[in-house]
Amino acid sequence: MRTRNLFTKGTECSPADPLPQRQIMSKDSQMRAAINHKLIEMGERDRLKELLRAKLVECGWKDQLKAHCKDVIREKGLEHVTVEDLVTEVTPKGRALVPDSVKKELLQRIRAFLAQHATL
Amino acid sequence: MKMEEVSVSSLDNSKLEGLAQDILSDLVEDACLGLCFDVHRAVKQGYFFLDETDQESMRDFEIVDQPGLDVFGQVFNQWKNKECVCPNCNRSIAASRFAPHLEKCLGMGRNSSRIANRRIVTGNTTTTTNNNNTNNNKSESDQEDNDDVNDNDWSYGAEKKAKKRKSEKNPNSPRRSKSFKHKSSLMGPRRRMENQESPCMLMKEETFPQ
Repeated sequence: MRTRNLFTKGTECSPADPLPQRQIMSKDSQMRAAINHKLIEMGERDRLKELLRAKLVECGWKDQLKAHCKDVIREKGLEHVTVEDLVTEVTPKGRALVPDSVKKELLQRIRAFLAQHATL
Repeated sequence: MKMEEVSVSSLDNSKLEGLAQDILSDLVEDACLGLCFDVHRAVKQGYFFLDETDQESMRDFEIVDQPGLDVFGQVFNQWKNKECVCPNCNRSIAASRFAPHLEKCLGMGRNSSRIANRRIVTGNTTTTTNNNNTNNNKSESDQEDNDDVNDNDWSYGAEKKAKKRKSEKNPNSPRRSKSFKHKSSLMGPRRRMENQESPCMLMKEETFPQ
């Protein structure tokens, strides 16, 4: 709804004129939001999530990260470890440890989806 | 949410690529968070370290990772190629087939009496002709081996077939005692086939014929 106002605000600009920076960015984010929405709506995001989980378990990422969690827990103490502790310690390592093959495969699928559905 | 016309040609490939990377990064973060939540719950509920015991038993049962062995350290296929000599018929049998062969050869298995009866009924010529003892012996054990495939003790569907065979080998059939068990118990499935009346009626009128 907000984006509509943005467009009506700049009534001085006709479609032929180049849009100001702010409106270009909103167009971008609008498109991204629309694609994300479509991703969720069509169930593709859930499928991708499941695919990623399965691949990460297969390649041993989950076990590696779990071992790292064990270290963190022993460090912080079993009784006092919080979710924030785990998240801040584990997430960066988790991102780094994802193998390239898994990344490639998922990117392939995402690109295929975008190629199909980024046009309207 | 209505959108203005956006076609792929107007979008940079780099933009699409950037978008794909962002989506991937979101998914990876979801996976990481999921793991963190699971671990945290396991810690708070007390089952996180459940798979670790004392050092000694962990060393004992550690996974074996050597070529030619399975994860328990056992040798695969160790007895596959060995051959044993049967004490009864003096034939050399493969190790995996040795136990069933011995069962049939000594006449002590589940099926041995059934096979013997069947042979009596069909009038097998092995007992009358003494031409080629070794040949006959071979066909004997092969028939018995095939019997495993035809074994259908527990299929109600095959009961009608079993009934026919029963009449054939009636005098020596081991199944005879089983049918008595069925009659004396409440409602064997065979009863319904013989008696077309309703089950409740049967209950009142039957006088347990023996």
